[in-house]
Amino acid sequence: MIVNAELFVKDLPGQLVGSIEPISLIDGNIMGVMHDRERIVNHRICVNITFEVEGQSQLEALKKIWKSKDIIISKLGSVYQTYTMDYLLIGDIDARYIEELINKANSLVTMDAVDVRYSSKANTSSKRTGLISVKTRSEEDLEKLDRFMDEECRKTNTIYVRGV
Amino acid sequence: MRIFICGFGTVGQGFAEVIAKRREFLEDRYGCPVLITGAMDSRTYVIDRDGLDPIALVDRKRVTGRVGEDEYSDSVAVLDQAAYDILVEVSPTDVKTGGAGLRNITHALENGKDVITVNKGPLALKFHDLITLARRNKCKFRFEGSVGGAMPIINLCRENLRGEKIESIRGIFNGTCNFILSKMDKGQPFDQALKEAQQMGYAETDPTNDIEGYDSACKVAILANSVFGRNVTFDDVRITGITGITDEAIALAASRNMVIRLIGEVSENKLEVGPRLVPKGHPLSISGTLNTAQIISDLAGPITVSGRGAGRIETASAILSDLISIMDERTE
Repeated sequence: MIVNAELFVKDLPGQLVGSIEPISLIDGNIMGVMHDRERIVNHRICVNITFEVEGQSQLEALKKIWKSKDIIISKLGSVYQTYTMDYLLIGDIDARYIEELINKANSLVTMDAVDVRYSSKANTSSKRTGLISVKTRSEEDLEKLDRFMDEECRKTNTIYVRGV
Repeated sequence: MRIFICGFGTVGQGFAEVIAKRREFLEDRYGCPVLITGAMDSRTYVIDRDGLDPIALVDRKRVTGRVGEDEYSDSVAVLDQAAYDILVEVSPTDVKTGGAGLRNITHALENGKDVITVNKGPLALKFHDLITLARRNKCKFRFEGSVGGAMPIINLCRENLRGEKIESIRGIFNGTCNFILSKMDKGQPFDQALKEAQQMGYAETDPTNDIEGYDSACKVAILANSVFGRNVTFDDVRITGITGITDEAIALAASRNMVIRLIGEVSENKLEVGPRLVPKGHPLSISGTLNTAQIISDLAGPITVSGRGAGRIETASAILSDLISIMDERTE
């Protein structure tokens, strides 16, 4: 899991390193550190760290170490990753169909971003193509979305081509 | 070692040529000759306990259209007349019933003969029955060339990656579809691309098995059974072919730097064949008639293999590798 923590450490030499080291101790992977010397509260300065840990137990161990080092945890939250998938739909579709499809999908999973492109009506056939690019917050959501798109397209005899 | 070749079309002839090419290698390795003691095509057969000349068989087929002079109505009865240790079953595939290939393989295994086949129909329909029969009669049964032709995948997963947990395999398993889609990438409409595939000899006169995804589905079913230990048949595969892919769809995909490829996917819970959007530069975005597969395993991570999925000598090379494996096991 990816975690973002806002810490307040004493404004003394070695305190910044002291707040980062425990992350390595629990086999975490530091992804970013922001040392905000302008935010000082009770003679403590703010450090914002983003890191990856294997699970909740490692995170709990880390919290204990920080507390034992007199480091104040002001915020601790998980940072989400986004998962992108493209769907190409070919069939007797129009903008309203795609919009309804996206609305239904949105009620099933949280979609962070949706981008839709259409082809103009094909000269050679009555089929039209729509390309929907979606960002979700979890792989599970993506799997749910895959199933939903597959089922909906089968109902309307629309060819559904998803990304690999 | 005595071999009977069942099916003397492109692959059967290719295998006979390969046996002729590798005669010395096989004799040196095993200290005994590898003899073709029988061969049959769809109508005729020829048997000789002392061994037939592989090149003469190929020449006769080329000139007369027949491998033998004697005609038959029951292939199993022909097998009963012959003396052989290994049946190489390469007759035309029948996806609906398994056809003569299924009968021949079953008969050989029932009689304690080892079998090598590239015939997809029997494997996609009766895999577990055939494996059980082979085990019961202590026969060796190998089928590397049935998926991907010369591209090693079944034996790679079952032997070289033995310690791995294979999580998924996805790939391009039909060169004809890939040729058509590659041509469409360059602006050719589907019908024209199909016609060109037929003119080049990549697609049959009736291309249904290829373009509707049935051929790929057979291969996906074989991989599910042989690599993942599942018990599935061709009918369990969710199939979408490429006939509905329009040039507009190809263009729209290209606008996002992607191509459309017919991908077979198999894992513990997936069994699908369908067109997929593949980013350009991805291992599965290859063009032309090549087959390719991406194997995801827990320790080694992704492994990609590619090779010629069809062709007389290419497929025969897969049969030769199975033959060597069987002969190695026999000499252990």
